[in-house]
Amino acid sequence: MYGFEAMTFNIHGGYLEAIVRGHRAGLLTAADYNNLCQCETLDDIKMHLSATEYGPYLQNEPSPLHTTTIVEKCTLKLVDEYKHMLCQATEPLSTFLEYITYGHMIDNVVLIVTGTLHERDVQELLEKCHPLGMFDSIATLAVAQNMRELYRLVLVDTPLAPYFSECITSEDLDDMNIEIMRNTLYKAYLEDFYKFCQKLGGATAEIMSDLLAFEADRRAVNITINSIGTELTRDDRRKLYSNFGLLYPYGHEELAVCEDIDQVVRAVMEKYPPYQSIFSKLSYGESQMLDKAFYEEEVKRLCLAFEQQFHYGVFFAYMRLREQEIRNLMWISECVAQNQKSRVHDSVVFIF
Amino acid sequence: MEVEQEKPSLENVQARQQEKQREGEVVIVEEEEEQQQQVEEGEENANVLQFMDSMDAYLTLIHSLSSTIRQGWLELASARHSMGASRVNTVLLDHKFHPAATTLLVTQDEGKVDSMKQHFTLCKWASSGNEKCSLGEAKSGQDKLHPQLRHRASSQLYEEKTSSEYKASHEVDDQVQKERSKSLSVFGTLVSPKLRAAQLSFETALETLVEIANTRSAVLCAFDKVNKKLGGSKG
Repeated sequence: MYGFEAMTFNIHGGYLEAIVRGHRAGLLTAADYNNLCQCETLDDIKMHLSATEYGPYLQNEPSPLHTTTIVEKCTLKLVDEYKHMLCQATEPLSTFLEYITYGHMIDNVVLIVTGTLHERDVQELLEKCHPLGMFDSIATLAVAQNMRELYRLVLVDTPLAPYFSECITSEDLDDMNIEIMRNTLYKAYLEDFYKFCQKLGGATAEIMSDLLAFEADRRAVNITINSIGTELTRDDRRKLYSNFGLLYPYGHEELAVCEDIDQVVRAVMEKYPPYQSIFSKLSYGESQMLDKAFYEEEVKRLCLAFEQQFHYGVFFAYMRLREQEIRNLMWISECVAQNQKSRVHDSVVFIF
Repeated sequence: MEVEQEKPSLENVQARQQEKQREGEVVIVEEEEEQQQQVEEGEENANVLQFMDSMDAYLTLIHSLSSTIRQGWLELASARHSMGASRVNTVLLDHKFHPAATTLLVTQDEGKVDSMKQHFTLCKWASSGNEKCSLGEAKSGQDKLHPQLRHRASSQLYEEKTSSEYKASHEVDDQVQKERSKSLSVFGTLVSPKLRAAQLSFETALETLVEIANTRSAVLCAFDKVNKKLGGSKG
Protein backbone atom coordinates (compact mmCIF):
# COMPACT_ATOMS: atom_id res chain seq x y z
CA MET A 1 0.00 0.00 0.00
CA TYR A 2 1.36 3.42 -0.93
CA GLY A 3 2.24 5.49 2.12
CA PHE A 4 2.74 2.48 4.41
CA GLU A 5 6.18 1.45 3.19
CA ALA A 6 7.68 2.86 6.40
CA MET A 7 6.14 -0.02 8.30
CA THR A 8 7.77 -2.86 6.39
CA PHE A 9 10.50 -1.58 4.07
CA ASN A 10 13.33 -1.63 6.62
CA ILE A 11 12.85 -5.32 7.36
CA HIS A 12 14.51 -6.34 4.11
CA GLY A 13 15.63 -3.10 2.50
CA GLY A 14 16.69 -0.88 5.39
CA TYR A 15 20.32 -1.94 5.55
CA LEU A 16 20.88 -1.60 1.82
CA GLU A 17 19.08 1.76 1.64
CA ALA A 18 21.45 3.01 4.36
CA ILE A 19 24.41 1.61 2.42
CA VAL A 20 23.36 3.31 -0.81
CA ARG A 21 22.76 6.64 0.94
CA GLY A 22 26.25 6.36 2.39
CA HIS A 23 27.64 5.71 -1.09
CA ARG A 24 25.70 8.73 -2.37
CA ALA A 25 27.50 10.92 0.18
CA GLY A 26 30.78 9.80 -1.39
CA LEU A 27 30.00 11.33 -4.80
CA LEU A 28 32.46 14.01 -5.95
CA THR A 29 31.62 17.54 -4.83
CA ALA A 30 31.91 20.90 -6.58
CA ALA A 31 35.28 21.47 -4.87
CA ASP A 32 36.56 18.14 -6.24
CA TYR A 33 35.48 19.07 -9.76
CA ASN A 34 37.13 22.52 -9.44
CA ASN A 35 40.42 20.86 -8.49
CA LEU A 36 40.14 18.29 -11.26
CA CYS A 37 39.37 20.92 -13.91
CA GLN A 38 42.60 22.72 -13.02
CA CYS A 39 44.84 19.69 -13.44
CA GLU A 40 47.59 19.91 -16.03
CA THR A 41 48.25 16.19 -16.51
CA LEU A 42 46.54 12.84 -15.93
CA ASP A 43 48.94 12.19 -13.05
CA ASP A 44 47.57 15.33 -11.37
CA ILE A 45 44.07 13.91 -11.79
CA LYS A 46 45.22 10.65 -10.21
CA MET A 47 46.71 12.62 -7.33
CA HIS A 48 43.46 14.50 -6.71
CA LEU A 49 41.38 11.34 -6.96
CA SER A 50 43.63 9.60 -4.44
CA ALA A 51 41.96 11.75 -1.76
CA THR A 52 38.50 10.49 -2.81
CA GLU A 53 36.89 7.03 -2.70
CA TYR A 54 38.57 6.24 -6.03
CA GLY A 55 42.00 6.44 -4.36
CA PRO A 56 42.51 2.71 -3.61
CA TYR A 57 41.56 1.80 -7.21
CA LEU A 58 44.04 4.17 -8.86
CA GLN A 59 46.97 4.15 -6.46
CA ASN A 60 48.76 1.17 -8.04
CA GLU A 61 48.41 2.32 -11.63
CA PRO A 62 51.78 3.16 -13.17
CA SER A 63 52.52 6.32 -15.12
CA PRO A 64 51.95 7.32 -17.83
CA LEU A 65 48.23 7.03 -17.25
CA HIS A 66 45.68 6.77 -20.00
CA THR A 67 42.11 8.09 -20.02
CA THR A 68 40.66 4.60 -20.48
CA THR A 69 42.61 3.36 -17.42
CA ILE A 70 41.04 6.03 -15.21
CA VAL A 71 37.56 5.13 -16.50
CA GLU A 72 38.15 1.37 -16.05
CA LYS A 73 39.32 1.71 -12.45
CA CYS A 74 36.50 4.07 -11.50
CA THR A 75 34.02 1.62 -13.08
CA LEU A 76 35.55 -1.21 -11.01
CA LYS A 77 34.63 0.70 -7.86
CA LEU A 78 31.00 0.96 -9.02
CA VAL A 79 30.96 -2.75 -9.87
CA ASP A 80 32.29 -3.69 -6.41
CA GLU A 81 29.63 -1.58 -4.70
CA TYR A 82 26.91 -3.06 -6.90
CA LYS A 83 28.01 -6.65 -6.27
CA HIS A 84 28.06 -6.03 -2.53
CA MET A 85 24.49 -4.70 -2.64
CA LEU A 86 23.31 -7.52 -4.92
CA CYS A 87 24.66 -10.27 -2.71
CA GLN A 88 22.97 -8.73 0.32
CA ALA A 89 19.62 -8.13 -1.41
CA THR A 90 16.51 -10.29 -1.15
CA GLU A 91 13.57 -10.46 -3.52
CA PRO A 92 12.21 -8.28 -5.05
CA LEU A 93 15.17 -5.91 -4.57
CA SER A 94 17.62 -8.42 -6.07
CA THR A 95 15.54 -8.61 -9.27
CA PHE A 96 15.31 -4.81 -9.31
CA LEU A 97 19.10 -4.55 -9.01
CA GLU A 98 19.55 -7.07 -11.83
CA TYR A 99 17.23 -5.06 -14.05
CA ILE A 100 19.58 -2.09 -13.70
CA THR A 101 22.35 -4.06 -15.47
CA TYR A 102 20.35 -5.39 -18.44
CA GLY A 103 21.15 -2.23 -20.45
CA HIS A 104 24.86 -3.01 -20.13
CA MET A 105 24.18 -6.61 -21.05
CA ILE A 106 22.54 -5.48 -24.30
CA ASP A 107 25.51 -3.21 -25.05
CA ASN A 108 27.92 -6.10 -24.46
CA VAL A 109 25.94 -8.45 -26.73
CA VAL A 110 25.98 -5.88 -29.52
CA LEU A 111 29.70 -5.20 -28.99
CA ILE A 112 30.59 -8.90 -29.31
CA VAL A 113 28.34 -9.46 -32.34
CA THR A 114 29.59 -6.33 -34.13
CA GLY A 115 33.22 -7.08 -33.33
CA THR A 116 32.81 -10.67 -34.60
CA LEU A 117 31.25 -9.36 -37.80
CA HIS A 118 34.37 -7.23 -38.23
CA GLU A 119 36.62 -10.27 -37.67
CA ARG A 120 37.99 -9.15 -34.33
CA ASP A 121 39.41 -11.50 -31.71
CA VAL A 122 36.86 -12.59 -29.09
CA GLN A 123 39.26 -12.13 -26.17
CA GLU A 124 39.93 -8.57 -27.27
CA LEU A 125 36.17 -7.93 -27.37
CA LEU A 126 35.58 -9.47 -23.96
CA GLU A 127 38.17 -7.15 -22.41
CA LYS A 128 36.18 -4.15 -23.64
CA CYS A 129 32.80 -5.34 -22.33
CA HIS A 130 31.22 -3.49 -19.43
CA PRO A 131 31.72 -5.57 -16.26
CA LEU A 132 28.14 -4.97 -15.09
CA GLY A 133 26.80 -6.60 -18.25
CA MET A 134 28.80 -9.85 -18.19
CA PHE A 135 27.15 -13.26 -18.15
CA ASP A 136 28.49 -16.81 -18.35
CA SER A 137 28.00 -17.73 -21.99
CA ILE A 138 28.88 -14.32 -23.45
CA ALA A 139 31.93 -15.64 -25.34
CA THR A 140 29.70 -18.05 -27.30
CA LEU A 141 28.06 -15.09 -29.02
CA ALA A 142 30.90 -15.06 -31.55
CA VAL A 143 29.60 -18.32 -33.07
CA ALA A 144 26.17 -17.02 -34.17
CA GLN A 145 25.57 -16.02 -37.81
CA ASN A 146 22.04 -14.64 -37.50
CA MET A 147 19.62 -13.59 -34.79
CA ARG A 148 17.87 -16.93 -34.64
CA GLU A 149 21.18 -18.67 -33.84
CA LEU A 150 22.07 -15.86 -31.43
CA TYR A 151 18.89 -16.58 -29.50
CA ARG A 152 18.99 -20.39 -29.75
CA LEU A 153 22.68 -20.85 -28.86
CA VAL A 154 23.25 -18.20 -26.24
CA LEU A 155 20.57 -15.77 -25.26
CA VAL A 156 17.77 -18.23 -24.51
CA ASP A 157 19.35 -18.86 -21.08
CA THR A 158 19.93 -15.22 -20.26
CA PRO A 159 17.60 -12.55 -18.86
CA LEU A 160 17.50 -10.98 -22.35
CA ALA A 161 15.62 -13.97 -23.83
CA PRO A 162 12.10 -12.46 -23.45
CA TYR A 163 13.23 -9.34 -25.33
CA PHE A 164 14.18 -11.24 -28.45
CA SER A 165 10.69 -12.20 -29.57
CA GLU A 166 10.30 -8.97 -31.55
CA CYS A 167 13.55 -9.19 -33.46
CA ILE A 168 14.13 -12.83 -34.29
CA THR A 169 14.79 -13.24 -38.00
CA SER A 170 16.91 -15.57 -40.08
CA GLU A 171 18.57 -12.67 -41.84
CA ASP A 172 22.32 -12.58 -41.57
CA LEU A 173 23.63 -10.05 -39.12
CA ASP A 174 24.83 -6.79 -40.71
CA ASP A 175 25.36 -3.26 -39.42
CA MET A 176 21.76 -2.11 -39.94
CA ASN A 177 20.20 -5.28 -38.50
CA ILE A 178 22.48 -5.06 -35.47
CA GLU A 179 21.50 -1.45 -34.86
CA ILE A 180 17.81 -2.30 -35.11
CA MET A 181 18.38 -5.28 -32.82
CA ARG A 182 20.12 -3.08 -30.24
CA ASN A 183 17.33 -0.52 -30.15
CA THR A 184 14.55 -3.14 -30.24
CA LEU A 185 16.11 -5.00 -27.31
CA TYR A 186 16.53 -1.80 -25.34
CA LYS A 187 12.93 -0.82 -26.04
CA ALA A 188 11.68 -4.21 -24.81
CA TYR A 189 13.93 -3.98 -21.73
CA LEU A 190 12.68 -0.52 -20.77
CA GLU A 191 9.05 -1.55 -21.17
CA ASP A 192 9.64 -4.70 -19.08
CA PHE A 193 11.44 -2.74 -16.36
CA TYR A 194 8.60 -0.22 -16.35
CA LYS A 195 5.99 -2.97 -15.90
CA PHE A 196 8.05 -4.57 -13.12
CA CYS A 197 8.21 -1.26 -11.24
CA GLN A 198 4.47 -0.74 -11.71
CA LYS A 199 3.92 -4.18 -10.19
CA LEU A 200 6.05 -3.25 -7.17
CA GLY A 201 3.76 -0.28 -6.61
CA GLY A 202 4.08 2.42 -3.97
CA ALA A 203 6.83 5.05 -4.01
CA THR A 204 9.03 2.77 -6.15
CA ALA A 205 6.42 2.74 -8.93
CA GLU A 206 5.89 6.48 -8.75
CA ILE A 207 9.55 7.48 -8.76
CA MET A 208 10.76 4.85 -11.21
CA SER A 209 7.91 5.62 -13.64
CA ASP A 210 9.10 9.20 -13.87
CA LEU A 211 12.76 8.20 -14.31
CA LEU A 212 12.07 5.48 -16.88
CA ALA A 213 9.64 7.70 -18.82
CA PHE A 214 12.36 10.34 -19.08
CA GLU A 215 14.79 7.68 -20.27
CA ALA A 216 12.31 6.51 -22.91
CA ASP A 217 11.71 10.06 -24.12
CA ARG A 218 15.42 10.82 -24.28
CA ARG A 219 16.04 7.67 -26.29
CA ALA A 220 13.25 8.64 -28.69
CA VAL A 221 14.84 12.05 -29.30
CA ASN A 222 18.33 10.56 -29.72
CA ILE A 223 17.10 7.89 -32.14
CA THR A 224 15.36 10.62 -34.16
CA ILE A 225 18.42 12.88 -34.29
CA ASN A 226 20.83 10.03 -35.07
CA SER A 227 18.63 8.62 -37.83
CA ILE A 228 18.22 11.89 -39.76
CA GLY A 229 19.93 11.47 -43.12
CA THR A 230 20.29 7.66 -42.79
CA GLU A 231 18.54 4.79 -44.56
CA LEU A 232 16.25 4.10 -41.59
CA THR A 233 12.67 4.53 -42.78
CA ARG A 234 10.04 6.44 -40.83
CA ASP A 235 8.17 3.24 -39.99
CA ASP A 236 11.32 1.55 -38.71
CA ARG A 237 12.11 4.64 -36.69
CA ARG A 238 8.66 4.67 -35.12
CA LYS A 239 9.02 0.99 -34.17
CA LEU A 240 12.12 1.79 -32.09
CA TYR A 241 10.28 4.23 -29.79
CA SER A 242 9.08 2.80 -26.45
CA ASN A 243 5.37 2.49 -25.77
CA PHE A 244 5.37 4.73 -22.73
CA GLY A 245 6.68 8.11 -21.70
CA LEU A 246 5.48 11.68 -21.99
CA LEU A 247 6.00 11.74 -25.75
CA TYR A 248 3.93 8.57 -26.29
CA PRO A 249 1.97 8.47 -28.60
CA TYR A 250 1.52 11.90 -30.23
CA GLY A 251 5.06 13.13 -29.74
CA HIS A 252 6.35 9.93 -31.31
CA GLU A 253 4.13 10.49 -34.37
CA GLU A 254 5.69 13.91 -34.90
CA LEU A 255 9.24 12.75 -34.15
CA ALA A 256 8.91 9.91 -36.65
CA VAL A 257 8.54 12.39 -39.53
CA CYS A 258 11.27 14.81 -38.40
CA GLU A 259 13.98 15.53 -40.98
CA ASP A 260 15.77 18.44 -39.34
CA ILE A 261 17.26 18.75 -35.88
CA ASP A 262 16.89 22.41 -35.05
CA GLN A 263 13.51 23.30 -36.46
CA VAL A 264 11.34 20.24 -36.21
CA VAL A 265 12.70 18.37 -33.16
CA ARG A 266 12.64 21.60 -31.20
CA ALA A 267 9.07 22.28 -32.37
CA VAL A 268 7.99 18.81 -31.15
CA MET A 269 9.72 19.00 -27.78
CA GLU A 270 8.68 22.54 -26.93
CA LYS A 271 5.01 21.41 -26.87
CA TYR A 272 5.75 19.46 -23.69
CA PRO A 273 6.23 21.75 -20.65
CA PRO A 274 8.67 19.49 -18.74
CA TYR A 275 11.02 19.58 -21.75
CA GLN A 276 10.64 23.28 -22.50
CA SER A 277 13.25 24.03 -19.85
CA ILE A 278 15.74 21.81 -21.69
CA PHE A 279 15.28 23.56 -25.01
CA SER A 280 15.11 27.03 -23.50
CA LYS A 281 18.78 26.61 -22.53
CA LEU A 282 19.75 26.00 -26.14
CA SER A 283 19.85 28.69 -28.74
CA TYR A 284 19.36 27.99 -32.44
CA GLY A 285 22.11 25.81 -33.84
CA GLU A 286 23.27 24.55 -30.43
CA SER A 287 22.02 21.03 -30.95
CA GLN A 288 25.42 19.74 -29.88
CA MET A 289 24.66 20.87 -26.31
CA LEU A 290 21.46 18.83 -26.26
CA ASP A 291 23.22 15.85 -24.67
CA LYS A 292 24.44 17.98 -21.78
CA ALA A 293 20.98 19.50 -21.32
CA PHE A 294 19.44 16.02 -21.09
CA TYR A 295 22.09 14.82 -18.66
CA GLU A 296 21.49 17.86 -16.43
CA GLU A 297 17.74 17.20 -16.38
CA GLU A 298 18.37 13.52 -15.62
CA VAL A 299 20.73 14.37 -12.74
CA LYS A 300 18.15 16.75 -11.30
CA ARG A 301 15.50 14.00 -11.31
CA LEU A 302 17.91 11.39 -9.92
CA CYS A 303 18.89 13.67 -7.02
CA LEU A 304 15.21 14.23 -6.23
CA ALA A 305 14.79 10.44 -5.83
CA PHE A 306 16.86 10.66 -2.62
CA GLU A 307 14.38 13.10 -1.08
CA GLN A 308 11.99 10.25 -0.37
CA GLN A 309 12.61 7.12 1.71
CA PHE A 310 11.55 3.47 1.59
CA HIS A 311 11.68 2.85 -2.12
CA TYR A 312 14.02 1.14 -4.60
CA GLY A 313 14.45 4.22 -6.78
CA VAL A 314 17.47 5.27 -4.69
CA PHE A 315 19.44 2.25 -5.97
CA PHE A 316 18.68 3.08 -9.60
CA ALA A 317 19.43 6.77 -8.96
CA TYR A 318 22.74 6.01 -7.27
CA MET A 319 23.93 3.74 -10.10
CA ARG A 320 23.02 6.37 -12.68
CA LEU A 321 24.66 9.19 -10.73
CA ARG A 322 27.89 7.18 -10.45
CA GLU A 323 27.81 6.50 -14.18
CA GLN A 324 27.39 10.23 -14.77
CA GLU A 325 30.33 10.90 -12.46
CA ILE A 326 32.47 8.45 -14.41
CA ARG A 327 31.42 10.20 -17.65
CA ASN A 328 32.48 13.51 -16.09
CA LEU A 329 35.87 12.06 -15.12
CA MET A 330 36.27 10.66 -18.63
CA TRP A 331 35.56 14.06 -20.19
CA ILE A 332 37.85 15.96 -17.81
CA SER A 333 40.64 13.44 -18.46
CA GLU A 334 40.22 13.76 -22.23
CA CYS A 335 40.32 17.57 -22.07
CA VAL A 336 43.45 17.49 -19.89
CA ALA A 337 45.15 14.85 -22.07
CA GLN A 338 44.37 16.83 -25.26
CA ASN A 339 45.35 20.17 -23.68
CA GLN A 340 41.87 21.56 -24.24
CA LYS A 341 40.95 22.60 -20.70
CA SER A 342 38.88 25.52 -22.00
CA ARG A 343 36.34 22.95 -23.27
CA VAL A 344 35.97 21.12 -19.95
CA HIS A 345 32.67 22.74 -19.08
CA ASP A 346 31.10 21.72 -22.41
CA SER A 347 30.10 18.32 -21.06
CA VAL A 348 30.68 18.16 -17.29
CA VAL A 349 27.42 17.88 -15.34
CA PHE A 350 27.78 18.74 -11.68
CA ILE A 351 26.03 16.52 -9.15
CA PHE A 352 25.20 18.27 -5.90
CA MET B 1 97.50 69.69 -102.22
CA GLU B 2 93.80 70.05 -101.63
CA VAL B 3 93.26 66.47 -102.85
CA GLU B 4 96.00 65.20 -100.58
CA GLN B 5 94.36 67.14 -97.74
CA GLU B 6 90.96 65.64 -98.58
CA LYS B 7 92.27 62.05 -98.52
CA PRO B 8 93.31 62.08 -94.84
CA SER B 9 90.03 63.78 -93.88
CA LEU B 10 88.05 61.05 -95.68
CA GLU B 11 90.07 58.40 -93.97
CA ASN B 12 89.62 60.24 -90.74
CA VAL B 13 85.92 60.46 -91.30
CA GLN B 14 85.76 56.79 -92.12
CA ALA B 15 87.85 55.98 -89.09
CA ARG B 16 85.70 58.21 -86.98
CA GLN B 17 82.58 56.61 -88.42
CA GLN B 18 83.94 53.17 -87.71
CA GLU B 19 84.86 54.27 -84.21
CA LYS B 20 81.44 55.71 -83.67
CA GLN B 21 79.92 52.52 -85.03
CA ARG B 22 82.01 50.51 -82.62
CA GLU B 23 81.09 52.84 -79.80
CA GLY B 24 77.46 52.53 -80.79
CA GLU B 25 77.73 48.76 -80.80
CA VAL B 26 79.37 48.85 -77.42
CA VAL B 27 76.64 51.11 -76.14
CA ILE B 28 74.01 48.79 -77.59
CA VAL B 29 75.76 45.80 -76.04
CA GLU B 30 76.05 47.63 -72.75
CA GLU B 31 72.41 48.55 -72.90
CA GLU B 32 71.52 44.98 -73.72
CA GLU B 33 73.65 43.74 -70.85
CA GLU B 34 71.99 46.24 -68.53
CA GLN B 35 68.57 45.13 -69.64
CA GLN B 36 69.50 41.50 -69.17
CA GLN B 37 70.84 42.28 -65.73
CA GLN B 38 67.61 44.02 -64.86
CA VAL B 39 65.63 41.06 -66.13
CA GLU B 40 67.78 38.68 -64.12
CA GLU B 41 67.39 40.82 -61.01
CA GLY B 42 63.68 40.89 -61.61
CA GLU B 43 63.65 37.11 -61.93
CA GLU B 44 65.68 36.76 -58.74
CA ASN B 45 63.28 39.04 -56.88
CA ALA B 46 60.36 37.10 -58.30
CA ASN B 47 61.94 33.81 -57.16
CA VAL B 48 62.59 35.16 -53.70
CA LEU B 49 59.04 36.51 -53.50
CA GLN B 50 57.69 33.18 -54.70
CA PHE B 51 59.75 31.38 -52.07
CA MET B 52 58.52 33.69 -49.30
CA ASP B 53 54.90 33.40 -50.47
CA SER B 54 54.98 29.63 -50.61
CA MET B 55 56.69 29.48 -47.20
CA ASP B 56 53.97 31.71 -45.75
CA ALA B 57 51.29 29.50 -47.28
CA TYR B 58 53.07 26.41 -45.89
CA LEU B 59 53.17 27.80 -42.35
CA THR B 60 49.52 28.88 -42.53
CA LEU B 61 48.50 25.40 -43.68
CA ILE B 62 50.52 23.75 -40.87
CA HIS B 63 48.72 25.92 -38.31
CA SER B 64 45.34 25.14 -39.90
CA LEU B 65 46.10 21.38 -39.87
CA SER B 66 47.03 21.48 -36.20
CA SER B 67 43.78 23.19 -35.19
CA THR B 68 41.64 20.92 -37.43
CA ILE B 69 43.17 17.76 -35.96
CA ARG B 70 42.75 19.06 -32.40
CA GLN B 71 39.11 19.81 -33.14
CA GLY B 72 38.64 16.33 -34.64
CA TRP B 73 40.09 14.55 -31.61
CA LEU B 74 37.92 16.57 -29.23
CA GLU B 75 34.81 15.84 -31.30
CA LEU B 76 35.71 12.13 -31.21
CA ALA B 77 36.02 12.30 -27.42
CA SER B 78 32.69 14.13 -27.30
CA ALA B 79 31.07 11.41 -29.43
CA ARG B 80 32.50 8.75 -27.12
CA HIS B 81 31.13 10.67 -24.13
CA SER B 82 27.70 10.89 -25.77
CA MET B 83 27.38 7.38 -27.26
CA GLY B 84 29.30 5.45 -24.63
CA ALA B 85 32.71 3.76 -24.61
CA SER B 86 31.29 0.45 -25.89
CA ARG B 87 30.00 2.09 -29.09
CA VAL B 88 33.04 4.21 -29.97
CA ASN B 89 35.90 1.79 -29.52
CA THR B 90 38.95 0.58 -31.42
CA VAL B 91 37.77 -3.04 -31.15
CA LEU B 92 34.91 -2.22 -33.53
CA LEU B 93 37.21 -1.26 -36.41
CA ASP B 94 36.82 -3.59 -39.37
CA HIS B 95 39.64 -6.09 -39.92
CA LYS B 96 38.03 -7.53 -43.06
CA PHE B 97 39.71 -6.76 -46.35
CA HIS B 98 38.12 -3.79 -48.07
CA PRO B 99 39.32 -1.31 -50.71
CA ALA B 100 40.71 2.01 -49.54
CA ALA B 101 38.11 4.74 -49.26
CA THR B 102 40.64 7.39 -50.28
CA THR B 103 43.74 7.24 -52.49
CA LEU B 104 46.58 9.62 -53.28
CA LEU B 105 47.76 10.23 -56.84
CA VAL B 106 51.38 11.42 -57.23
CA THR B 107 52.41 12.95 -60.57
CA GLN B 108 55.47 14.78 -61.86
CA ASP B 109 55.05 18.41 -62.88
CA GLU B 110 53.80 18.56 -66.49
CA GLY B 111 56.02 19.97 -69.21
CA LYS B 112 59.21 19.80 -67.16
CA VAL B 113 60.90 16.51 -67.71
CA ASP B 114 63.89 17.31 -65.53
CA SER B 115 61.84 18.88 -62.76
CA MET B 116 61.66 17.06 -59.43
CA LYS B 117 58.48 18.90 -58.49
CA GLN B 118 55.75 16.45 -57.63
CA HIS B 119 52.04 17.11 -57.50
CA PHE B 120 49.71 15.30 -55.10
CA THR B 121 46.01 14.80 -55.77
CA LEU B 122 43.60 13.32 -53.23
CA CYS B 123 40.90 10.99 -54.56
CA LYS B 124 38.26 10.73 -51.82
CA TRP B 125 35.68 7.95 -51.61
CA ALA B 126 37.45 6.10 -54.40
CA SER B 127 36.16 2.68 -53.26
CA SER B 128 32.72 3.41 -54.73
CA GLY B 129 34.29 4.20 -58.10
CA ASN B 130 32.72 7.63 -57.76
CA GLU B 131 35.98 9.42 -57.04
CA LYS B 132 35.87 12.86 -55.51
CA CYS B 133 39.00 13.94 -57.41
CA SER B 134 37.16 13.30 -60.67
CA LEU B 135 34.34 15.36 -59.19
CA GLY B 136 36.89 18.13 -58.66
CA GLU B 137 37.90 17.93 -62.34
CA ALA B 138 34.28 17.95 -63.41
CA LYS B 139 33.59 20.99 -61.25
CA SER B 140 36.63 22.86 -62.61
CA GLY B 141 35.45 21.87 -66.09
CA GLN B 142 32.07 23.31 -65.29
CA ASP B 143 33.70 26.49 -64.02
CA LYS B 144 35.55 26.79 -67.34
CA LEU B 145 32.26 26.33 -69.18
CA HIS B 146 30.50 29.11 -67.30
CA PRO B 147 32.46 32.08 -68.70
CA GLN B 148 31.69 30.79 -72.19
CA LEU B 149 28.07 30.24 -71.33
CA ARG B 150 27.70 33.78 -70.08
CA HIS B 151 28.61 34.98 -73.54
CA ARG B 152 26.03 32.80 -75.22
CA ALA B 153 22.91 34.33 -76.49
CA SER B 154 20.40 31.71 -75.32
CA SER B 155 19.53 32.10 -71.63
CA GLN B 156 17.28 29.05 -71.77
CA LEU B 157 20.20 26.86 -72.80
CA TYR B 158 22.16 28.35 -69.91
CA GLU B 159 19.35 27.52 -67.47
CA GLU B 160 19.07 23.96 -68.76
CA LYS B 161 22.82 23.47 -68.44
CA THR B 162 22.92 24.87 -64.87
CA SER B 163 19.99 22.74 -63.71
CA SER B 164 21.55 19.57 -65.15
CA GLU B 165 24.91 20.49 -63.59
CA TYR B 166 23.18 21.14 -60.27
CA LYS B 167 21.42 17.78 -60.50
CA ALA B 168 24.68 16.00 -61.31
CA SER B 169 26.55 17.65 -58.43
CA HIS B 170 23.60 16.92 -56.11
CA GLU B 171 23.71 13.23 -57.06
CA VAL B 172 27.45 13.13 -56.45
CA ASP B 173 26.98 14.84 -53.04
CA ASP B 174 24.40 12.19 -52.11
CA GLN B 175 26.82 9.47 -53.14
CA VAL B 176 29.59 11.03 -51.05
CA GLN B 177 27.23 11.29 -48.09
CA LYS B 178 26.40 7.57 -48.46
CA GLU B 179 30.10 6.71 -48.55
CA ARG B 180 30.67 8.74 -45.39
CA SER B 181 27.83 6.90 -43.62
CA LYS B 182 29.25 3.59 -44.83
CA SER B 183 32.64 4.41 -43.29
CA LEU B 184 31.00 5.31 -39.98
CA SER B 185 28.86 2.17 -39.96
CA VAL B 186 31.60 0.30 -38.03
CA PHE B 187 30.31 2.23 -35.00
CA GLY B 188 26.67 1.48 -35.84
CA THR B 189 24.23 3.02 -38.30
CA LEU B 190 22.59 5.42 -35.81
CA VAL B 191 25.57 7.48 -34.69
CA SER B 192 25.66 10.82 -32.95
CA PRO B 193 26.08 14.02 -35.02
CA LYS B 194 29.26 14.57 -33.00
CA LEU B 195 30.84 11.50 -34.58
CA ARG B 196 29.88 12.75 -38.04
CA ALA B 197 31.44 16.12 -37.19
CA ALA B 198 34.64 14.33 -36.12
CA GLN B 199 34.67 12.48 -39.46
CA LEU B 200 34.36 15.76 -41.37
CA SER B 201 37.18 17.31 -39.34
CA PHE B 202 39.54 14.43 -40.13
CA GLU B 203 38.49 14.56 -43.78
CA THR B 204 39.37 18.27 -43.86
CA ALA B 205 42.68 17.48 -42.15
CA LEU B 206 43.49 14.94 -44.88
CA GLU B 207 42.80 17.53 -47.60
CA THR B 208 44.99 20.03 -45.75
CA LEU B 209 47.79 17.45 -45.54
CA VAL B 210 47.75 17.04 -49.33
CA GLU B 211 47.77 20.82 -49.78
CA ILE B 212 50.77 20.97 -47.41
CA ALA B 213 52.58 18.35 -49.51
CA ASN B 214 51.95 20.39 -52.69
CA THR B 215 52.96 23.63 -51.00
CA ARG B 216 56.12 22.02 -49.63
CA SER B 217 56.96 20.84 -53.12
CA ALA B 218 56.52 24.44 -54.33
CA VAL B 219 58.67 25.76 -51.44
CA LEU B 220 61.51 23.36 -52.26
CA CYS B 221 61.28 24.20 -55.97
CA ALA B 222 61.40 27.96 -55.27
CA PHE B 223 64.28 27.45 -52.84
CA ASP B 224 66.23 25.54 -55.50
CA LYS B 225 65.74 28.39 -57.97
CA VAL B 226 66.89 31.00 -55.44
CA ASN B 227 69.88 28.85 -54.51
CA LYS B 228 70.90 28.40 -58.14
CA LYS B 229 70.79 32.14 -58.76
CA LEU B 230 72.84 32.83 -55.65
CA GLY B 231 75.36 30.17 -56.64
CA GLY B 232 75.52 31.55 -60.17
CA SER B 233 76.08 35.14 -59.04
CA LYS B 234 78.86 34.08 -56.60
CA GLY B 235 80.59 32.06 -59.33
